[in-house]
Amino acid sequence: MEYFLVGDGVGQFGKFGRGKGVETEERFVATCLGVGRTQLSLIIMAGSNEINVNECKKVVPLNTWILISNFKLSYNMLRHPDGTFNRDLNEFLDRKVTANKIPVDGVYSFDVVDRATSLLNRVYLPSPDNSSQSGVVDLETPLSTTQIVPVIIFFHGGSFVHSSANSAIYDTFCRRLVTHCKAVVVSVNYRRAPEHRYPCAYDDGWTALRWVHSRPCFQSGKDSKAYVYLAGDSSGGNIAHHVAVRAAESGVEVLGNILLHPFFGGQERTQSEMKLDRKYFVTIEDRDWYWRAYLPEGEDRDHPACNPFGPRRDKSIDGLCFPKSLVCVAGLDLLQDWQLGYAEGLKKAGHDVKLLFLEKATIGFYFLPNNEHFYCLMEQINNFVNCSSSS
Amino acid sequence: MSPPDSSVTNSGSASSSSSSCAGKPPDHIDNLLAGAGYRVRSSDLRQVAQRLERLETVMVNAPSDLSSHLANDAVHYNPSDLASWVDSLLSELNPPPPAHADLPDFPDLSYADRTVDNTSAWVGEERRHVAAAQQGGIFPPPLTTTTVVMDEDSGIRLVHMLMTCAELVQRGEFSLAGALIDEMQLLLARVNSGCGIGKVAGYFVDALSRRLFTPQTAGLISSAHENEILYHHFYEACPYLKFAHFTANQAILEAFDGHECVHVIDFNLMHGLQWPALIQALALRPGGPPLLRLTGIGPPSPDGRDSLREVGVRLAELARSVNVRFAFGGVAASRLEDVKPWMLQVGPKEAVAVNSIMQLHRLLGSDPTRGSPINTVLGWIRNLNPKIVTVVEQEANHNQPEFLDRFTEALHYYSTMFDSLETYLSHPNKAFAEMYIQREICNVLCCDGLARVERHEPLAKWRVRLGGAGFRPLHLGSNAFKQASMLLTLFSAEGYCVEENEGCLTLGWHSRPLIAASAWQAVPEPSPPLNLISHRNQNNL
Repeated sequence: MEYFLVGDGVGQFGKFGRGKGVETEERFVATCLGVGRTQLSLIIMAGSNEINVNECKKVVPLNTWILISNFKLSYNMLRHPDGTFNRDLNEFLDRKVTANKIPVDGVYSFDVVDRATSLLNRVYLPSPDNSSQSGVVDLETPLSTTQIVPVIIFFHGGSFVHSSANSAIYDTFCRRLVTHCKAVVVSVNYRRAPEHRYPCAYDDGWTALRWVHSRPCFQSGKDSKAYVYLAGDSSGGNIAHHVAVRAAESGVEVLGNILLHPFFGGQERTQSEMKLDRKYFVTIEDRDWYWRAYLPEGEDRDHPACNPFGPRRDKSIDGLCFPKSLVCVAGLDLLQDWQLGYAEGLKKAGHDVKLLFLEKATIGFYFLPNNEHFYCLMEQINNFVNCSSSS
Repeated sequence: MSPPDSSVTNSGSASSSSSSCAGKPPDHIDNLLAGAGYRVRSSDLRQVAQRLERLETVMVNAPSDLSSHLANDAVHYNPSDLASWVDSLLSELNPPPPAHADLPDFPDLSYADRTVDNTSAWVGEERRHVAAAQQGGIFPPPLTTTTVVMDEDSGIRLVHMLMTCAELVQRGEFSLAGALIDEMQLLLARVNSGCGIGKVAGYFVDALSRRLFTPQTAGLISSAHENEILYHHFYEACPYLKFAHFTANQAILEAFDGHECVHVIDFNLMHGLQWPALIQALALRPGGPPLLRLTGIGPPSPDGRDSLREVGVRLAELARSVNVRFAFGGVAASRLEDVKPWMLQVGPKEAVAVNSIMQLHRLLGSDPTRGSPINTVLGWIRNLNPKIVTVVEQEANHNQPEFLDRFTEALHYYSTMFDSLETYLSHPNKAFAEMYIQREICNVLCCDGLARVERHEPLAKWRVRLGGAGFRPLHLGSNAFKQASMLLTLFSAEGYCVEENEGCLTLGWHSRPLIAASAWQAVPEPSPPLNLISHRNQNNL
């Protein structure tokens, strides 16, 4: 695999790998132009640009293909054309796991329920010596008084509708995050659509952020504070953005945002949507369905929740103290134009954005650690939360 | 009810002559998919992929009413067994069998090979699910917790003290433990012991105190009559028992389909709360109700009353009112292991359902002089050749040999259970329901040997045990799940959660399952010639 690191300014890019089409080059150049005051780092993994029907089997490992195809087919069954959703069957089919206070591979977990709101957070911590915990959950003792331990608040994906914090795929993913990034992870079980529309998920994210800041057990370092990052995949990435905006407006500190192929959109049909529709597990039609389920009834996809930098942007984040962002875009995700546009929007507003473009990755590449994209992502997140200097 | 698996399951095959519970090692399961909650044999990956592709083609081409049938009417089972799940959907859609050309072969993917060969090259492989898959499920079940945010520091102090005290008790340092109990009782007086951690801590301090100071009466022995009253209150105050009855009845109803003479054996009749619903459901059965016999097992009544018969009479009246031919028999026994199968008077042509709601764990206390009660009872159940055995058990690991382990597990389990009762602030049954739970706690913590009957074990262990005793699972499906979920909506508390667990259903509070329901059937005895193993037929859809 080949990495190409591009500094600021036009014309500084090095040689690309073979087999790249004109399109990738164009996009690359476009994103490099006008970098201005903010450094935009672009890391590309080279690969073929060829896209054919049925190619999706060839770009993912067999077990990944099975996993994501299984989701695709079962989700197809659960969505009804009239906008209703078979919630019972969804929960029946979802594979869930309990928390486990006994460390497994150096990670243990427990759930915390806020009695007032019924909101559940699952907390994952590293246990370096794999020793059994005393059985008591201690929410009062800091993580460390000498070292800094990052706390990643994670919002699981599922297009605002599917999955939970205790879904097996996300429980496993969060454990891997702990291992690779030596961080504490708090996975938020936010309320989902269509039963709970905008802004419930954002409200729950905001509540979780305040909760993490309020508990001594998430604090570390000599100045005893919580070093908080927000992260999420798909709809979780969308939630992370909006919670970060609210945090910035309210003066609550977030050190960084990690967005994994975040779920954004708009009324316009972009090139990537039209070209990749139905080809790599995801369709425009299903994306539209989820927005109709999440956004207030009667709203269209230019609603700022869906299209934060679109024609109806109601907030200016230019002046805000918005955290640095790591935006990971999968090159085979039909939403990539929206995600690249999002990164652009942040950049234009004067904020620090690192774009990780994984050209041959499909959505959900990070569910199973059987491909180089997964390890690249983990390394990037680790650097993002553990390096004190921004790269 | 799902049809029996066409492929042999490796845990506890009846053909094994070994008395050990350990299953044969299963085929290698893809451990990455296992981490996502799916059990697929590595050797089956390609075939499952082909079937998924076939399913997608069929779904896309199917008329829209068929597709919606899949979603709304078809019953789904055990989604963890991905291969079977996909096959069952294909059967529902009933497509014509494909020509070989229709199934494109999967190209050899370099990543797929790399995964198998170079797993050590990748960092941080999970072994939890691999261990489970490759040891046939024999591994220490996770110590699970659901914790409630504690508002007070004294709540945390109490819990720390409780754990320390339990450890002292285990180590035999009784005077130190006693001193700590005194301290805790002082602290309890200052904490809000009406709810939350204060209340649970109160019960646990009480249990420790009984264990130390009044061991003879620690077990809170009460009359059968008192037990029944508390049980009734517990039944009313929260959904656990209702879920148990409801789910078991669903499964029994399905198992009795097509049978004209049916016989239910209830291992713990109590007031017979489970049975009116089944009687009514049978009355409404298309084609008319069967002849229903009910045999209820329960403790003998002390004062000359025949309480079993009284319950039987009431149920008979109900049955008569809905035109169900009904016969009742009572078997009085103080312990389940005292019941002999001939007492049940099972007829040769009857379809038998054995129903055990939180009874099997009581048989796990072993006494060298009496053999193994659980094996004895499971043995004669199997010999009855029942159509179905419904088993509901507490989803907890309260039968561990070390006191401290039991204490820790119980603290988490009962904290969660008390928490779920919190929502019924002024429910009239609540206080008595809590007493019911208190009795369980005291038995778990204060009693030992034969006196300790609350020997709860988790589903994973029951699977191994029942599999080893010659039973195979009958999976509870999405229809049972949906109806259990609907049952929960009758309760205002938003925190109860039904989950599917590889063919079984659990009911829990938030993310912690507290009670597990499963259904079983006896594996037929092998008959010569030895043609036991039916491999999955590759040409079957």
